[in-house]
Amino acid sequence: MSKFIATALAATMLMPIAARAEGQIEVLHHWVSQSEVEALNVIRKALEAKGFQWKDSAVGGMSGANAQQALRARLTAGDPPGAMQFLGWEGVQWAEQGVVRDLNDLAQAGGWREALAPQLLPFVTSGEAFIAAPINMHRQNWVWANKKIFDDAGIAVPKTWAELIETGKKLKEKGVVPVAMGDEPWQIGIIFDALLSDLNGPEFYQKTAVDLDPEALGSPEMVKVFDTLREIRGLVDDNFVGRDWAVATGMVINGEAAMQFMGDWAKGEFLAKGLKPNQDFYCFATPGKVTSFQYLIDSFGMFTVKDETVQQAQVALAETIMDPQVQKDFNRIKGSIPARNDVSVDDFDDCAKLGFQERATAIEKGSMQGAMTHGFAAKPEFASVFSDVAAQFFVGKMSSEDAVKMLVSGIDNAR
Amino acid sequence: MSASTHMSSRLAGWLPRLVVAPSLLIVIVTVYLFILWTGVISVTSSKFVPTYDFVGLDQYVRLWATPRWHTAVANLFIFSVLFLALSTGLGLLLAILLDQNIRVEGALRAIYLYPMALSFIVTGTAWKWIMNPGLGIQKVVTDLGWTTFRFDWITDPQMAIYTVVVAGVWQSSGFAMAIFLAGLRGIDNSVIKAAQIEGASLPLIYRQIIIPMLRPAMLSVIVLLSYIAIKSFDLVLALTNGGPGTATELPSTFMFSATFRRNQMGVGAASAMMMLMTVAAIIIPYLYSELREQKNG
Repeated sequence: MSKFIATALAATMLMPIAARAEGQIEVLHHWVSQSEVEALNVIRKALEAKGFQWKDSAVGGMSGANAQQALRARLTAGDPPGAMQFLGWEGVQWAEQGVVRDLNDLAQAGGWREALAPQLLPFVTSGEAFIAAPINMHRQNWVWANKKIFDDAGIAVPKTWAELIETGKKLKEKGVVPVAMGDEPWQIGIIFDALLSDLNGPEFYQKTAVDLDPEALGSPEMVKVFDTLREIRGLVDDNFVGRDWAVATGMVINGEAAMQFMGDWAKGEFLAKGLKPNQDFYCFATPGKVTSFQYLIDSFGMFTVKDETVQQAQVALAETIMDPQVQKDFNRIKGSIPARNDVSVDDFDDCAKLGFQERATAIEKGSMQGAMTHGFAAKPEFASVFSDVAAQFFVGKMSSEDAVKMLVSGIDNAR
Repeated sequence: MSASTHMSSRLAGWLPRLVVAPSLLIVIVTVYLFILWTGVISVTSSKFVPTYDFVGLDQYVRLWATPRWHTAVANLFIFSVLFLALSTGLGLLLAILLDQNIRVEGALRAIYLYPMALSFIVTGTAWKWIMNPGLGIQKVVTDLGWTTFRFDWITDPQMAIYTVVVAGVWQSSGFAMAIFLAGLRGIDNSVIKAAQIEGASLPLIYRQIIIPMLRPAMLSVIVLLSYIAIKSFDLVLALTNGGPGTATELPSTFMFSATFRRNQMGVGAASAMMMLMTVAAIIIPYLYSELREQKNG
């Protein structure tokens, strides 16, 4: 009897190991929408071709905050998932805690550093270690416009913010909502980020959104940013409270509104309706003297685990993600562009091609910078001060000078 | 025989303690231990993950220097006072009106009580649309011809917190009504009869006799509603998502975003301790007076 129990115990203990023997890796991520899941299937299939199973662990909601909570619990319990989707500084911060696996050998063998823009490296490396494999890149500072409205009003794509605001005022007189958006702080933040760089140059963006230089934060240039933001508020209708970004995109598609400032995930909404770039809708970068490319990336990092089969699966997954063909197939579905610079985008849509092209120039001119609103500039405790102030300013009646004061003191308080 | 009765009586003595012990242990660990842990975190410099150093009251200083926290505290005050007063008042009024031996009382009672069956998420989403100036009440009234009519509180940072009050009161006043109605049914009719014979008018009877007799019902309503007011995280999330901007932030939404989204675990813990102290400041005097009354009584 006792022998039977011992055998049964041994069998149950062996079972998970047996299941892992075929090489399974659990991946924690927050992608749950249809296009996101379809894009993930590209990685999953390529991983299966290498003989490893993808175990899905999706925790949606709160822009990934829920998945982060799940991860904290798992790490505290000593049972981290094999891999995890990282946004912003998350990967680097976990690496500082010493729980992330160093992929430097793979990176060196695969030439990852050469394939990526140098601006990305702070988010995928920690010291000498290479800690995450980036799959895609979104651009935050796009303008999406209804072409018919532009054509009917006889207006061209604006080349400066002043022109854009003039265009907006004209459209407003015609009864069109010039700018479709919601009141969520991150939607306001997208415009704020763009203004920092477009009005005052990429160096100003670096000094404020990244270096948090008190002098630049309190400068007259910053007042100008808020002044312009106030003018944009005048181009938004009063029903913007509680409006989802996709609803705002719908307004541009239906011809209720002329423009939306949004990352390239908005493109999917146009394409899903069968609309074509440059025929039915325009996509162009927010206008500035130096065209900026404010990026965000999704990357996957691997946690330190003891199980050798999982370790092998981690290598396979990292190599799969960095595979140029996988990056191409993945990004055509997701609407972003490959994180690698050396993947051809000839068969992508016109907006993706434009983005790819403008990224190359932006890398040269130093205007390829991390998007603060999505966590790719200052650390979250500072970035949230920017978004708080911009949001309070946008929905209320605060003066630009007061907003600048509030920003300076808020950043000091968070230090 | 006597030994076994002795055993069973001893068991009977121990049984309640044994049954209570696991739940007590769970409460001690999940409530008090974590309160203690939050307290510890609030005096450390914890940001992304807990770090165990001692920085004194730095995080509290930082918390009170954050404008968003001031908004949150003011909002909690406005919301709970108005929510409690209006829900209790409306609930009492509805209960008194329903208590007049009217027809279809059962159906009306169900209608008033029904909102309580909804989750705050549903209430919040529905009221978001009702109060949106381009979709809801304002649009209906202006379409009917009163073109200057404005009801755009939800877009106004100064007024948005009152939309949360409206939605909360809509949901909870029926519940208060049900408790008051039960209280009214428990009042002996002969008391009212006697007062009528003495020549007291109906409003006077209600003011001087019936409402004071509803004191126990009033107490349960206030306790239950304050609990709803403090946990109304989901209502704000669904109705305004803290907006416009950050105008309808509550301490609970502040704590969540500081701890889990903004890398300010220490500030989040400090805000949680401030909430605990506020609740304690209300509950402890209440418990104290209740316990003293029991001792005296």
